Amino acid sequence: MLKGIAASEGIGIGKVMIVEEHSLEYQPKQVADTDAELQRFRDAVEAFCKETEEQAEAVRKSAGEKEAEILMGHIYMIKDPGMIGTMEAQITGGQCAEAALEQICDMFIEAFSSTGDEVTQQRAADVKDIKTAILSILLGVKTVKISEAPAGTVIVAREVTPSMTAGINKENIVGIVTETGSQTSHSAILARALEIPAVLSVENATTQLSSGELIIVDGSEGDVITAPGEAEVQTYSAKRDAYLREKRELENYRGKKTTNANGDEYELFCNIGTPKDAVKAMTADGEGVGLFRTEFLFMDRNALPTEDEQFEAYKQAALVLKGKGLIIRTLDIGGDKEIPYLGLEKEENPFMGYRAIRYCLGHRDLFKSQLKAILRASAYGDVRIMFPLITAVEELREGKALVEEAKSDLRASGIEFDENIKIGVMTETAASGVIAHLLAKEADFFSIGTNDLTGYTMAADRGNSDVAYLYSPFQPSVLMMIQRIIKCAREEGIPVGMCGEAAANPMMIPLLISFGLTEFSVSAPSVLKVRKNISKWTKAEADKVAEAVMSMTTEAEVTAYLKTVV
Amino acid sequence: MVSKKLTIVNAQGFHMRPASTFATAMGKYASDVTIKHNGADVNAKSLMNIIAACIKCGNEIEVVANGADENDALAEAVQMIESGFGE
Repeated sequence: MLKGIAASEGIGIGKVMIVEEHSLEYQPKQVADTDAELQRFRDAVEAFCKETEEQAEAVRKSAGEKEAEILMGHIYMIKDPGMIGTMEAQITGGQCAEAALEQICDMFIEAFSSTGDEVTQQRAADVKDIKTAILSILLGVKTVKISEAPAGTVIVAREVTPSMTAGINKENIVGIVTETGSQTSHSAILARALEIPAVLSVENATTQLSSGELIIVDGSEGDVITAPGEAEVQTYSAKRDAYLREKRELENYRGKKTTNANGDEYELFCNIGTPKDAVKAMTADGEGVGLFRTEFLFMDRNALPTEDEQFEAYKQAALVLKGKGLIIRTLDIGGDKEIPYLGLEKEENPFMGYRAIRYCLGHRDLFKSQLKAILRASAYGDVRIMFPLITAVEELREGKALVEEAKSDLRASGIEFDENIKIGVMTETAASGVIAHLLAKEADFFSIGTNDLTGYTMAADRGNSDVAYLYSPFQPSVLMMIQRIIKCAREEGIPVGMCGEAAANPMMIPLLISFGLTEFSVSAPSVLKVRKNISKWTKAEADKVAEAVMSMTTEAEVTAYLKTVV
Repeated sequence: MVSKKLTIVNAQGFHMRPASTFATAMGKYASDVTIKHNGADVNAKSLMNIIAACIKCGNEIEVVANGADENDALAEAVQMIESGFGE
């Protein structure tokens, strides 16, 4: 089995077609008849544009408008005065068409690649694609016709370029395997749009595999199974059929409200880690963001992010959400992370040490600059603040006092923000569960972080395989915590969400409905699945399940029972 | 010379399609049109230069037009950016 990056979900079983690359070498030379050379160049560009337009038309039908735009972009790019204009000037000056093309394209490839911005770096791949395509035309190199691949073909290539993807016939290509690429590369985006399973970054795929051999591409797991036996083919066929069936069914839930079988409404939010994830959350049909982790702003750098820099990121997410709820969690970081400039000391037990709200309250300048950035972003949407790792009421009070200080600073500078911004508690410690009734009086909302709540309640590190058996949100102690937190929130009339992985677990959903959770926050790909699972339960049925579960004594009993009801 | 400061409002910023529509629209004018962003002057008539400038959602930019039809050029640029390129 070969391992790669799972870039486009689904399973494909088919025969390998290796797409080889041809040498595009040429001898650069000075040209005497510059008019003829210019004509040769213009003919090649025209042929390229015509071909690209045809491909874009085909892609528009098979994958949609957005994907066609990527290809049309190649035409806009080559026709830019900075491209064709400069190239023509070079040719008029005596350079051969190939060299002029390559030199100018390389200049832009270099410029785009060095920006450090992912989207702009992807444009470098487009320029490379343009260069290869026009060079092939100039040199008269024939390219493999992917469009003529027979049904049941798995394309294996060093990289799938946008122009190659254009030749893909969805009916015939059942999988894609490449040696390069990531989740966000063109190949991945196009494969997902075409709904073709894809595994990228498989080392030496083009040499390890040979044309005609049967392989299985598992784009959900990132696996390429070589020389599969009959049993394996059968297992994967069944898996593929189940995947396709479920996918069709889930699409019925897109654009619908999230309700249980009685019609009671819930909020179904997403967890995100960057502003770009906000776009994914919206595409996945999320109704807001229940947890925006802000650590990305602080990682992999040498100095603190400025207030402005943070503001831009939060504002960007707020603008994407267009007025939908956006819960921003303040910095949740401690001695387990290597962030030299924060001066976090190595400690014996970082998860019980100086971290998250504790660290922030001890570094008030850092904390206030984050709070000001969040407040400024609140002028652009329904932004809310959430404090992590709260264990005592004083922490909430101190945090809220700092928010007030940040507000008066902004007022003094005449900067707009939401005066009534909601401030909530991430209930993820045993202490916060026990004093939930006290916290609920002073917080505007709760969000249950089940991953840490489970760890802190069970005193078990899930990364340690010797104690991982204790780490389960279905432990009676954890369930009682969850039930209590929700009950205390409801008694004070504040909303209560769950942003841990358990919120998407079909076995947990009836319990949460019965306890009275108001908001589920899950990963973007889980949105439709969770909406479907919530819709299956009436309050009365969920209550019956919860009653049974809460009378049980062990985790094993609970999970065995829940497996029979979902 | 006329100019105006603006904030990019569409989620994807100046990505391929808006950058290309914008550059084409600006190309119609006789005036020089420049986008000031992060201390750099970007030729607004060149898609490639706009892409290289990495202009994102939320960024503050200044559009500067200079020439015979500078008012019309600036008006169209402002309209396009403020409407988020219709996205």
